Amino acid sequence: MHSSVHSAVRSTKSRPKNLNLLSVRFPLSAVMSVGHRAAGILLFLALPWFLYLLQLSLSSESGFLQVKNDLNSIWLKMLILIFIWALAHHFIAGIRYFLLDLDIGIERQMAQKSALLVMILGVLVTVIVAFFLF
Amino acid sequence: MSYQAKGLQAWLLQRLTGVFMALYILYVLGVVLFSENLNYQQWRDWLSHPLMNTATGLFFLTLAYHAWVGMRDIVIDYISHDALRLLVLTLISLFLISSGLYLLKILFSLTLTV
Repeated sequence: MHSSVHSAVRSTKSRPKNLNLLSVRFPLSAVMSVGHRAAGILLFLALPWFLYLLQLSLSSESGFLQVKNDLNSIWLKMLILIFIWALAHHFIAGIRYFLLDLDIGIERQMAQKSALLVMILGVLVTVIVAFFLF
Repeated sequence: MSYQAKGLQAWLLQRLTGVFMALYILYVLGVVLFSENLNYQQWRDWLSHPLMNTATGLFFLTLAYHAWVGMRDIVIDYISHDALRLLVLTLISLFLISSGLYLLKILFSLTLTV
């Protein structure tokens, strides 16, 4: 682990504040990280809806068919696609963080490349699913 | 305050829960995508199986923990006003607890009925 970095951060008593987000440079890894958080929030907020669909699909034969039928509407398909992106991005970004924890791809250039790869793969999965959905 | 990060524990559990959820999600997606014309009875039987029923309950437990750590970190990062922060954190925990109870009801409705 990078204990020297951690203790260096901890020892500064007054932490730097960057209130103006425009004053901060956003490298690819930062954009990807914001996406990871945004995707996490999206999935969190969608939880009751997913549970409702699960409950309806298990309640009865007609409930099951209703869910199947409802998910055929174009609007719900688009909504599902948004959540597919959120899940794919969150999932793949999570794997990247996991590898970084194991010191794999920790070098700056490599980390920037893998951040780009995460974003591309997230979109790619969404496009593939869209292809099957529509 | 007790909701503050217990650094290493939260860090480690965030990854362990992530791994469990990843495996569960891949399994469920795999079954749903590759079983052609899944019907109601098959769907219900599958989720009623004790192993799947338990795994789903466990999945939600790990998800609730994972979501709590994640949402808490975001709230701590962006909401600095103490009262507002506490309010939002309380709402998040209530949201997760009621979602958990809802899932419990769904899971029990599968196993407790004839």
